[in-house]
Amino acid sequence: MKRLLVVWAVFAMTVCLAGGANVAGAAELRPFTAGSLAAIQAHFAGKPFILTLWSLECHHCAKELQLLGRLVREKRNLPLAIVSTDSPADVQALRAALKRHGLAHLDTWIFADAVPERLRFAIDPVWHGELPRSYLYDAAHRREAHSGLLGEARLKAWLKQNGN
Amino acid sequence: MVLRTLLCCALAGFAWAAPVQAAEHAARGPAAKSASLAVGAALDARGRLWLARVEQGRLQVSFSQDGDASFSAPVAVTAAPGIVVADGENRPKIAVADNGSVHLTWLQGLGKPMAGHIRYARSTDGGRSFAPPIIVNDDRQEISHRFDSLAIDGKGGVAVVWLDARERKDRGAKGSPETQVGLYAALSTDGGARFAPNRKIAAHTCQCCRTGLAWSADGPVAFWRHVYGRNVRDFAVANLKEGAPRRVTDDDWRIDACPHHGGGIAADGQGDLHIVWFTQGARRQGIFYRRISGTDFAMGEPMRLGDPARQAGHPAVVAQGARVLLSWREFDGRHFSAWAMLSIDAGRSWGPAQRLADAAQAADYTVPLIDARRALVVWNTAAEGLRVLPLSEDTP
Repeated sequence: MKRLLVVWAVFAMTVCLAGGANVAGAAELRPFTAGSLAAIQAHFAGKPFILTLWSLECHHCAKELQLLGRLVREKRNLPLAIVSTDSPADVQALRAALKRHGLAHLDTWIFADAVPERLRFAIDPVWHGELPRSYLYDAAHRREAHSGLLGEARLKAWLKQNGN
Repeated sequence: MVLRTLLCCALAGFAWAAPVQAAEHAARGPAAKSASLAVGAALDARGRLWLARVEQGRLQVSFSQDGDASFSAPVAVTAAPGIVVADGENRPKIAVADNGSVHLTWLQGLGKPMAGHIRYARSTDGGRSFAPPIIVNDDRQEISHRFDSLAIDGKGGVAVVWLDARERKDRGAKGSPETQVGLYAALSTDGGARFAPNRKIAAHTCQCCRTGLAWSADGPVAFWRHVYGRNVRDFAVANLKEGAPRRVTDDDWRIDACPHHGGGIAADGQGDLHIVWFTQGARRQGIFYRRISGTDFAMGEPMRLGDPARQAGHPAVVAQGARVLLSWREFDGRHFSAWAMLSIDAGRSWGPAQRLADAAQAADYTVPLIDARRALVVWNTAAEGLRVLPLSEDTP
């Protein structure tokens, strides 16, 4: 247990050193825990948004991040929450990947639970962990789930339809 | 700076503590990776249970000869700590031959995402010591060689298969219609002293699912998630001696994604093959079992396993004689449970699904084992430790 605490402290410190004082803001990787989806939904209350789940261990996810990065360059405040299903131990690699795709300034999270399946189940009991996984929330927060690459055409059509 | 860091962390702890339980979760956060719950297990000819597990970066082997009540002092297979990848789809594999030789394969991580080498080591003195590990993949680029499977025939044959990205050219994002990942094999006929050069068995495989390998009467047979056409993720088998892959599922799962959820294969004493797999295809969704005839390759109807509403997943299969054992894991949103079912007539009929145990915290996939005397499931769990769960063998 002590060792785990140390690992966590190191993670927190790493984030702090890199992120400076911007701790409570949305511009750093945050641990995604049992209540985080509710927090994300509250953040986008009454607004459409995209929830993207990805991992470093997923070939297709890099393509998805690249597409999102391209769209974010066109529209910096794309309503997007990006959640990695890796663990806090991967924070440096995650940050590098997000930065590379121009997504580091967005609302980004890392799965942080000893039983990541619990987080997955809480997001969606019928999602088995395939990645990338996206949820397109409309303004009333009715959502559409999608496994695999969304594709630029579909994403742009959805954004247009939802006032972006 | 130190002060700022400490202050920052205190704030971080506070900010992240919302809503509830986050501090506890946070403390446990990295455990999923560092704990390495994924173990390999095997039964030897004397009925001893062998375990391969990763402790502090070292792969270690031990065995139990007293009905699993206690295990021998672990022997290190890797001398120095390193990255031995032990997660659900990449676990150490262990096989023990009748002559007492012990064979292992595992994935050595190379410190960047998806990069790894397939390692092999053997003991010729009954597990008291291990020869220095070799790298099985003869392509030595620091790229993806992962998802190893191991099988032996007990007569000097050792087979290893894995997924290999050596032919991947466009490492950027443009992408090719082919996955550029293939199934590769290495075979030894002298008990693992030497391996023949790597052979490519199939191109255009799925990239992130575990493979399976079973030694049938006709030789080693590999099982993997293939990609048919642009993105249909169905399964294939190939006899490593005869080569040509054959499609064995028709689920029609079209997806540009990584399922991270493969399947398994076993060969019984009558020459039939038994496969289990996961799919979310158009035709069926969940985990399934299918028997494939060894004589005419006739395939039985897929049989559903477990409760899809409880995320039944990660199935595995082993066979011995006419006995076939299936196991899988379920999850109700809070807790995992380990399940298994047994056939004593080579998969023609089945006993009831048995819920063998529950786990309060994180849990490995189930590892089924079978010999002439026992059918059991090894299940490593964070809270309850390593569990050896026997099946009741009442006739179905």
